[in-house]
Amino acid sequence: MLIKNGRVHNGLGDVVSQDLRINGDQIQTIGPNLAALDGEEIFDASGMEIFPGFVQPLSNWGVNGSMTEIRPSSNDNDERSNPIMPELDAFYAFNGRAATAQQLGAFGLTSCGVGPADNNLFGGTIAMFCVDGINPYRMCLKRGCGMMASVTPNLKKTYGSKQQAPQTRMWTFANFSLQLRKAADSQKQSDPSNDTPKDPGQDDKLEALKKVLDGQLPLFVSCDSKTSARQVWDILKDYPQVKLVLVNGFGLTGDEEWIVENKIPLIVRTAASPLDRDAMTLDWNGIAKLWEQGVPVAFSGTYTNGLSAREDMLWNGIEMMKILHDSSAVLPMLTSVPAKIMGVDHLTGSLQEGLRADIVIWSGNPLESYQAHIVRTYQGGRIIYREGDEMKCM
Amino acid sequence: MYVIQNGTLCTMDGQGVIQADLRVDHGKIIEIGSDLPVNGAEVIDAMGKFVTPGFVDAHSHVGGIAESGQADLNEITNPLTPELDAYYGINPQDDIFQTVIQQGITTSCVAPGSANVVCGWVIAYKSAGQHRLVKRPVALKAAMGINPKGCYAPKNQAPMTRMAIANILRTYLRNVQQYRQKKLEAGDDMAKMPPYDLGLEHGIPVIEKKIPLKVHSYMHDMMTLLEIAEEFDILVTVDHAQGASDFLEELRSPQVHGVIFGPTCEPIFPGEGGKLDYECCKALDDEGVRVAVMTDGPVTTVNMLLFEMGECVRRGMDPVRALAMVTSNAAEIVGISDRVGSLAVGKDADILIWSKMPTVATDAILERVIIDGETVYRQD
Repeated sequence: MLIKNGRVHNGLGDVVSQDLRINGDQIQTIGPNLAALDGEEIFDASGMEIFPGFVQPLSNWGVNGSMTEIRPSSNDNDERSNPIMPELDAFYAFNGRAATAQQLGAFGLTSCGVGPADNNLFGGTIAMFCVDGINPYRMCLKRGCGMMASVTPNLKKTYGSKQQAPQTRMWTFANFSLQLRKAADSQKQSDPSNDTPKDPGQDDKLEALKKVLDGQLPLFVSCDSKTSARQVWDILKDYPQVKLVLVNGFGLTGDEEWIVENKIPLIVRTAASPLDRDAMTLDWNGIAKLWEQGVPVAFSGTYTNGLSAREDMLWNGIEMMKILHDSSAVLPMLTSVPAKIMGVDHLTGSLQEGLRADIVIWSGNPLESYQAHIVRTYQGGRIIYREGDEMKCM
Repeated sequence: MYVIQNGTLCTMDGQGVIQADLRVDHGKIIEIGSDLPVNGAEVIDAMGKFVTPGFVDAHSHVGGIAESGQADLNEITNPLTPELDAYYGINPQDDIFQTVIQQGITTSCVAPGSANVVCGWVIAYKSAGQHRLVKRPVALKAAMGINPKGCYAPKNQAPMTRMAIANILRTYLRNVQQYRQKKLEAGDDMAKMPPYDLGLEHGIPVIEKKIPLKVHSYMHDMMTLLEIAEEFDILVTVDHAQGASDFLEELRSPQVHGVIFGPTCEPIFPGEGGKLDYECCKALDDEGVRVAVMTDGPVTTVNMLLFEMGECVRRGMDPVRALAMVTSNAAEIVGISDRVGSLAVGKDADILIWSKMPTVATDAILERVIIDGETVYRQD
């Protein structure tokens, strides 16, 4: 398959007018004037813009629950029985057909992260999937992309209203600190050089958090304000190997030197979260300022209440365009940066030889004009949406 | 008095898109034309800018659902509350109006929430100014589908089903009809006058086709609604309207005063939200049905109008027709087009100045918002 004459946006900030060859599930070659091989299918993309598929780092795609099943229940990524559940794995929340039913390819997405909702202090690990398929094992790009944690008022809403802890931020932060401390102590105990007898009972919660402490699992912390983000950082100073990812970006104004100095990656949600007024408190200029100072900024949709728009990634990009007016600056925030944060940048999120052919051909540049529409979407070299395909009804 | 000079005016009336000056005095547009004499008046330079009417959000709850979650527009204690009036549920001081202004919304059609089958009167309200009430009532709000049954079924009360909703709506309208008839027959004879009933009073302008019944109605509920509208010969607006593309021919009915699509910041999910068919807006517009989009704010975020218009443009709608969905069409549907929704002499000076055409350029910046001639927001 040869895509000729398009403008290739590689998702890393470069745009070149070149041809692109897909072989199997990979991008084989990107270069000028590629000659068609014998019998090779050619797609003439003259005047079109070739984008990497959007990589939504945190989402509810493929997660069933209260709005989708015959009994009322919580969403499958929202275990509201205990605020400390680092041992859970959001891989098990994913249902391939439920994701496929949303036809995300028609909105420019080719991969999505599924993480625990941010209603628990420690919610469990995050996994990345393709957006179109059936079998979660085949759709999965990576498990254990990170550990989801939250210090937002969602905890209080989830548990405090049931007369359980936490009812206050005090509990939230005390236990954020305490759980990490326990895991650190347990880590010392399991160190062979330490002659304290090993704890015979393997505690799943501590084991999960130990992977956070040694940097194997980045720690994604959902924060609702500048203050809570700073408080998290202060606690993490005792654990220098922890790789922090800040989630939400609410309240950040761009003058957070500690974020800039440490280049802490940021996952920002969101343009249009229904029933989520926090989203309107986002200071887009503050986020742009952090980006200008070298902070990796990725966008996401909402993932807390099961409702998010399939257009969220694009709409977030459009909000950022109103500040930066430069699509080659904004596109990485929707593609290569989230791919890097999720640890799948060797697979997707940019158009480079040897990566998966997760490619969207747009009639124009959708970050610049509402008149641009999708002509074709490839996921791993397979067409998952063509212009004119019927949009399904649930 | 001031003149907005050299802008590209999307007039949204017979004049179309023109390069012209626009003169404002005492809160009204008093002159539109080329090279208007300035005579020492203040000048706003709009060279290279797009000038549009202030946006009219045809379905909203702003000012009635506070940040704290306190909801003064949803009285979930009785499924039949036609006697209520959004006028009393709105807090003019709510901070949300600042956010609303920054989105270019100068007038909101504020409705009671959709918990009840008949919910109460709807008003048109400006986002700022000295005289914010544009019209009251503009409609009587009603709701079908999951909201009423979802609110009352858990309490073991009617309506638990869409059957009961149809029944409650029909019975109410019949009662209004009979009440009105009795009043007419009584004339000046107070002895024959029926006992005063505020809820039925609120339905009389609907029965008299002076205002539409504004109905939360998705997919299959549209057919029930049209049957009832024909039966009582009333005007209806079909609000939310997801799935309208399945009923294009039916919606071209004389009973349909307008279709108000959105909000669209959702995935598809089983039931009412099973289809998210932006394409219905172009199709309805092509058929001559008045179509608008909405924010439904602050239930959903109030920044949705541009995205909704943009997504319609992405599906082939003309960018100026898309703009009509939040200006001329929206004002006609709400019944306030004598005041707002277009740039024309005599209309309220509710004006937006954009750096680019907002329904095409994604990075168009809203530079100035004018309500009743006063600048209420400037981007800088």
